Amino acid sequence: MLEIRNLYATVEGREILNGIDLIIRPGETHAIMGPNGSGKSTLANVIAGREGYVVTGGEIRFDGKNLLEMDPETRACEGVFLAFQYPVEIPGVANLYFLKAAVNAVRKYRGESPVDAMDFWDLVHERMELVKMDESMLKRSVNEGFSGGEKKRNEVFQMAVLQPRFAVMDETDSGLDIDALKVVADGVNALRNPERGFLVITHYQRLLDYIVPDYVHVLVNGRIARSGGKELALELEQQGYALYNEEPGRARRAA
Amino acid sequence: MTAIAPLFLDPYRLAFATFMAERREPEAISRLRHAAFARFETLGWPTRRQDAWRFTDLAALQALNLQQPSDARIDAAALPTLETLTHRLVFVNGRLALALSQVRALPEQTTIAGLAQSLSTHSPRIESVLDSLPGLQSHPFSALNTAFWEDGAFIYIPRGTVIEEPIHLLFYATGGDMAVYPRLLLALADGAQATVVVEYRGQGRSLNAPLAELHLGDNATLHYHQVQEESPQAFHLGGIRVRQSRASQAQLHLFSSGGQLARTDLEVLLDGEQAGCLINGLTLGQENQTGDYHLRIEHAQPHGTSEQVFKSVLDGQARAVFDGLIHVRQYARKTDARQTNRNLLLSRQAQVHANPRLEILADDVKCGHGSSTGFLDPDAEFYLRTRGIPWSQARALLVHAFANDSLSRIALTPLRERLGRVLATRLALDSIEGN
Repeated sequence: MLEIRNLYATVEGREILNGIDLIIRPGETHAIMGPNGSGKSTLANVIAGREGYVVTGGEIRFDGKNLLEMDPETRACEGVFLAFQYPVEIPGVANLYFLKAAVNAVRKYRGESPVDAMDFWDLVHERMELVKMDESMLKRSVNEGFSGGEKKRNEVFQMAVLQPRFAVMDETDSGLDIDALKVVADGVNALRNPERGFLVITHYQRLLDYIVPDYVHVLVNGRIARSGGKELALELEQQGYALYNEEPGRARRAA
Repeated sequence: MTAIAPLFLDPYRLAFATFMAERREPEAISRLRHAAFARFETLGWPTRRQDAWRFTDLAALQALNLQQPSDARIDAAALPTLETLTHRLVFVNGRLALALSQVRALPEQTTIAGLAQSLSTHSPRIESVLDSLPGLQSHPFSALNTAFWEDGAFIYIPRGTVIEEPIHLLFYATGGDMAVYPRLLLALADGAQATVVVEYRGQGRSLNAPLAELHLGDNATLHYHQVQEESPQAFHLGGIRVRQSRASQAQLHLFSSGGQLARTDLEVLLDGEQAGCLINGLTLGQENQTGDYHLRIEHAQPHGTSEQVFKSVLDGQARAVFDGLIHVRQYARKTDARQTNRNLLLSRQAQVHANPRLEILADDVKCGHGSSTGFLDPDAEFYLRTRGIPWSQARALLVHAFANDSLSRIALTPLRERLGRVLATRLALDSIEGN
């Protein structure tokens, strides 16, 4: 469903991604691991279409369509979701209103009528259970004053409501204690199915104990240095990234 | 062509002589008018060399050949309502339109009426308070208003009386380059309470230079709303003077979205201990509109509180001016005064001139101010778009959130909801629910 071929990208004129090849099929969960500054978050932002991330070579296809030609909202409507490493606080926009606007935007893109208020409410309630979210969070402004754990749960909750076909989880484990991590991982696992693909980006192997990937890739200096099964993550946990670390931290220095 | 100022003032002199020749009113009122006109002649027409007028461009107004107000018929259906029971006075080109007005049953000694007609019934009371507040002495348009006002509203609420229904004053201008000087005189006696909505509407091009004088007695409570939605050609140069006695509470909500130039000069004198005021302003500007506020909050007595929150949303080549002074006199210890000015620019051509000022002569006070001007947060925009929300809607949502913070402070529900719809329409949002 997602094909990345020979992808090069720059941020503020610096080369961050240096020829990435990656194919993710429906139902697969891929993990991308790598040291700080290896380009992990750049890859997530390029997939989502953030401004300032300039693709200088290669392509990304989503179900055969050229993803890079689409603006961020079109990518979302096509079924791509990005769970942010740092979810943005939006004062004055209630979580529930925001979600409904998002659901209706996607429905409109598909030529469907706006969601029925009762159906929406039922869906929201069912999905809240999934990440053990309190109802009061619906009325609060998007992410405003949320703890780190609440923000990440809110990301998974949004994903659960929007039901994308492909999701990028950008360092979803960062800043979470073990209980919050389990809740978030349970939420993600509940959404895994044979039609849905995941790209899980993480620095630590710990998350992959809970979201067990089908494939693990090691990203170093903007290139996939090694790929393997889930056991690769354990190997990395023991040996660290030192083996791959000929020139560390290029992206982080650019940021 | 050198003596521009006298040549310009001359028509005013002629107009004033003509105006006064037709007036039949108490001697005290005539004296006020003469004194005010003399003040206007001394002050002269403002120039941009004066600090207070540096960012207010009056050239387009000055080029007009302004006319005396004349009567006009307007369709009652075209007038906005508050969709609730109100006491309502409608003024067309500054004159009370009785047929469009309705004042419901009032408690004893309470007056809600036209100012001109009240001169014959309540002359002593009006004479004792009209033009008695100290503020805006150097504001030429306030002087012009006192010299030239024909009509307006007179509201007197006696001691301890609470008027539940909002008092809705609607000033409608029909254009034709008329100069209109509506006057509002409001006095709340000790412990009185009222909610007032002053609304400026109209069509075509005109000068509207209203002056409101608001007196709050001890423990009085006033919720005052000024809604300026005049035509895009209109000039609005208004003044508001407030004096608050001991422990009185005033809320002034100022909403402005109309006019090519809309300026309000406001002076609040907190003249009793524990007096408090909230001033909540929201300006929506687009195209070549200028929205302009000049405020002076005068803390004269101890334990006073004041909070100013002024916001603007500017698109196109619109401009906003915010000039706000908090002045704390030496005697006014334990003052708590805050001022916030936040401006959101939606285009690279929009401009803000912000001049927040504090002058503190007392010890032991809490004062703070902050001003910020910026564009929409690109991270928030991107976040919304990654959830499928189109760019234009994402921007509208964020602008709405910014501006709705001001509207949410308005307790008067029907007005808050109506302004919410004005905002949503301006932003082309279908509807906004939730908070």
